[in-house]
Amino acid sequence: MSMSLSALARSPVASIVYVAIAWLVLVPLFRIEPRYLPPLPVVIADGISVWPDLVAGFWRTLIETVLGFLAGVALGVGFGIAFSASRIMERAFLPIFVALQTIPVIAFGAIVVIWFGNTIMAKVVIALYLAFFPVAVNTLRGLELVDPQRIALMKSFGASRLQLFLKLALPTALPNILIGMKLAVALSLAGAIVGEWFGDTVGLGVMLLQALYFEQIPRVWMLIIACGAMGTLLYGALSLLERRFVWWRAD
Amino acid sequence: MARGLKFLRSAWPVVAALALLLLLWQFGAAALDIPTYILPRPAEITVTAVAKWPLLGNALMVTLIEAIGGFLLGAAIGIVLAVLMILVPPLEALLMPIAVVINAVPSIAFVPLVLLWFGLGMESKIAIGALAVVLVVLLNLLAGLKRPEADAINLMRSFGAGRVGILWRLQLPAAMPGLVTGLRVGLARSTIAVIVAEMMGAYSGIGQVIYQATGQVDYLTVWAAVFVASLGSLALYGVLVAIDRKLVWWR
Repeated sequence: MSMSLSALARSPVASIVYVAIAWLVLVPLFRIEPRYLPPLPVVIADGISVWPDLVAGFWRTLIETVLGFLAGVALGVGFGIAFSASRIMERAFLPIFVALQTIPVIAFGAIVVIWFGNTIMAKVVIALYLAFFPVAVNTLRGLELVDPQRIALMKSFGASRLQLFLKLALPTALPNILIGMKLAVALSLAGAIVGEWFGDTVGLGVMLLQALYFEQIPRVWMLIIACGAMGTLLYGALSLLERRFVWWRAD
Repeated sequence: MARGLKFLRSAWPVVAALALLLLLWQFGAAALDIPTYILPRPAEITVTAVAKWPLLGNALMVTLIEAIGGFLLGAAIGIVLAVLMILVPPLEALLMPIAVVINAVPSIAFVPLVLLWFGLGMESKIAIGALAVVLVVLLNLLAGLKRPEADAINLMRSFGAGRVGILWRLQLPAAMPGLVTGLRVGLARSTIAVIVAEMMGAYSGIGQVIYQATGQVDYLTVWAAVFVASLGSLALYGVLVAIDRKLVWWR
């Protein structure tokens, strides 16, 4: 009960409740056309009417996102470590990575689908590809924060390279790695959704495409809520991990 | 002359890495006998891009106009909203929860909605591009505007500065780095959102070319379009970085 009222008002849960109430009240009040914003009960009823499909689609997209995200994080951390270990690697490849970050990587989705067909693998690879860059760049930034004086101190006590890495470098870099992961998880979700558009039968992305073709506005809104719920869930899980395991912070 | 030499010395690892990657791709794919439809060679892609330039150049023009239009519109709305929220605090309490909730949804989930609202023309792409930019600019700028401490604001007030004066002289300069970051991230997001929207439904543009070529199993054109899009957004990013440099130099 130590949480103050104003802090509660600023919490994400309060924001969701606030928006839901505004939706319920303002739509009938201003007679907003259903074409733009259908009443919230209509949207919820639509979600209930396709509940089994919605659950199946949610799970499928969630699995694609999480698998791609985890693989992307592993690869990104690996490259970040390689960059920090080798100056020449960093100078050769980091600029290419930074440039790749600014290009519309999602366009490569079409090519990935050509390679892997309409399998779950194609979406996982797209999600991986999008998650990989922010994690690699932020891992490198985190590892660069390690204080050289501390390295010298630990070396003088006879610490091995592995010990230096596990006891000093990795803990120093973890807060930054988590920043990268939070950016990456949203990108993974977007990648999985777009990957499904190139042909699949299950998933939130597939349902979005179908809703567009049949011009079902309540269905689109329902799916927007579902996508938002998944994004919030994943981000929240990462924030929880952060608070639990990375309570120290680098400035 | 000396500057060119210096640039060469710092850039040679990137140039070498790029050349190495391209050579490896060109001759590695041939040596491993990978069929063209799985991995076309860089030379083939370049030839296709040049041969199809009327189509690709035209599509790139459309995509860039939409991306820049969406970016400018979104940035303008984001900046105006942030300034209004600072000048009229109740507005922040009223609108911030909505921004937080919308920000939790991947912006590509709104693509079907804008297509149904604004049709398949350029308007829908500019709208989704703007949506992808508004929140990142708003949140970054707002955080920057709040950076000056209450003491500094009170000091200026005691010298007779008004709200607008404080905003202009103290808060806006403090917020510039945050704004530039927001604009940079926003530009990349707007390009991606526009291309994704074009894939889902459009008359022209890079995304539409990619989607059509995928359907026609014309993989060389897919690769060529992805490369042209990459060059286009790199150029866009370069312009933004140059503007940023000028601003910093001017400050």
